[in-house]
Amino acid sequence: MKILVCIKQVPESENPILIDDGNAWVQSDEIREFKMNRLDEFAVEEAVLIKETLGDTKIDVLSAGPERATEVIRRSIGMGADAGIHIDTGSERYHSSFEIAAGIAEYARGKPYDLILTGAMSEDNMQGQVGPMIARRLSRPCATAVIFEKIAADKKTIYVEREIEGGQRDTLALPLPAVLTIQSGINTPRYPSLSNLLRANKQGLKRINGADLVQPAARENLVALVYPQKTRSGTVLKGTEKEKATQLIRILREKALLP
Amino acid sequence: MTNDIAVIAEHAGGRLMPVTFELIAFAKKLRQSKSTAIRVLILGAEIKNLARQIADQSGLSVLGFEIPAMPDYNGELYTRILAPYFSADRPLYVCIAHTSRGSDFGPALAIDLNGACISGIEDVLTSDDGICFARPVYGGKLIAHIRPLAATSVLTIQPGIFKPDKQSDHKSGRVVIRQVAAKTHQWRSMGVKQAAMTAKGIAEAEVVVAAGQGIGDKDNLDLINQLAAIFAKSAVAGSRIVCDLGWLEYGCQVGVTGASVSPQLYLACGISGAIQHISGMRGSDFIVAINKDPAAAIFQVADICVVEDLKSFIPILIETYQETRNKA
Repeated sequence: MKILVCIKQVPESENPILIDDGNAWVQSDEIREFKMNRLDEFAVEEAVLIKETLGDTKIDVLSAGPERATEVIRRSIGMGADAGIHIDTGSERYHSSFEIAAGIAEYARGKPYDLILTGAMSEDNMQGQVGPMIARRLSRPCATAVIFEKIAADKKTIYVEREIEGGQRDTLALPLPAVLTIQSGINTPRYPSLSNLLRANKQGLKRINGADLVQPAARENLVALVYPQKTRSGTVLKGTEKEKATQLIRILREKALLP
Repeated sequence: MTNDIAVIAEHAGGRLMPVTFELIAFAKKLRQSKSTAIRVLILGAEIKNLARQIADQSGLSVLGFEIPAMPDYNGELYTRILAPYFSADRPLYVCIAHTSRGSDFGPALAIDLNGACISGIEDVLTSDDGICFARPVYGGKLIAHIRPLAATSVLTIQPGIFKPDKQSDHKSGRVVIRQVAAKTHQWRSMGVKQAAMTAKGIAEAEVVVAAGQGIGDKDNLDLINQLAAIFAKSAVAGSRIVCDLGWLEYGCQVGVTGASVSPQLYLACGISGAIQHISGMRGSDFIVAINKDPAAAIFQVADICVVEDLKSFIPILIETYQETRNKA
């Protein structure tokens, strides 16, 4: 079995994100910490679990992004992937899901991947489009938001449970090769092992210049980034912690929510 | 090519999902003039009555694709039917719900139509330069304005944002049903199953105290439990990530993939406020948010915003409550 996992590096979600002066893009210089997109960790883990179950499996991990994205590729090799591919998209700027999907599909076309996995959504762009778009560009079946999968004994089909609304799961089977986007909670992503991380540094990554891949005409563009407006006129409590606590208790009592 | 707008209805278990009428409200907001045609499409095994309901309530024409034995959703059938249909008669916009289904077939449909795909739309902005769509990015900390450039755009619209209009002065729309004998070659549907049952109490509780990743550690759930204990008829809930981490059962999860709640008080502790979570609690009467990140999206929907680290603030809050109660 040959598996391709597509991952993304995103800013650490606990930190604030600032917009540049022209409202054109985020102040990427100000972002101090990046990490692997959380849902992509589940996708890498699922690939490693498949490898451990089936044996005789090779896992490639691919990330399209600036040079910094190589950190998460190495981390996924640390988790148990075999080889890394970096599509270098150059300087920090907005890339549409379509542009990224077109590049990845071009790389994967003709290669014998039985399964392509990716996280169900990135934490920064939040579209969830790259997986299903890769599938369509490669004319492969796809299921999104996968919370359980099992490859049939003959390795010709895969049984999948998709997470849908209200705690329900839609169950189906797809022929392989297929593309799955992975939902959180499908497994518990492991920490990278030191020996694997050392191997990642030693073996190096395959680098592809993004500019050498297909550059389809953009189908939409980012006009501006803005800060959101509050939908409720929320009161921000001021003062020390104790003063805020006192105010909050008083408000809750006034609303008869506390005795 | 036309300037038409198409809406894809969503239904399950023989009933229309409310988001269908939100999509229609969105389409009406989107159209430049009353002369722009809006058509509603519905796919399924038994959709005649549902198609009639949409036409009656919206006044719009409805095209139903009746596919014998089709389950509520099959990703392959949706694209197999919609892509050729729209290729022959291109709308400017295809409006789809940003749900587990819409997110599944929307991007594939956009590829088939060489169209734009814009997901999770929360607003439409019109200017001299044309139409833009606003959608949240970076966990809702920022909003991106995206302009479509393609001849056709597939749009997925966040549920719960666009309120259906209650106009009654229109005539019922026309309904056309096409029988389609479509077979699937790839996607073999095997039924829907109930995975996690919602924990008892969350839906009925008058006060919901919810924990997010900001609690930092499973041990800090004690703080959440202690805080919940000062309220009558309270329940502890959590965000998706807290359930993924195994800190709470999935039955305690509030959000799109969990329970929807509307208590008198929703106390969000260390919850960032992703739209998937907010969808499940925005109907609460009163929302208090405690988060150390002043840019957390949860503050956009909160009535009371407390920018503090919950690990130090909650003990002080409980202590203050006890002190003042003893005085009273």
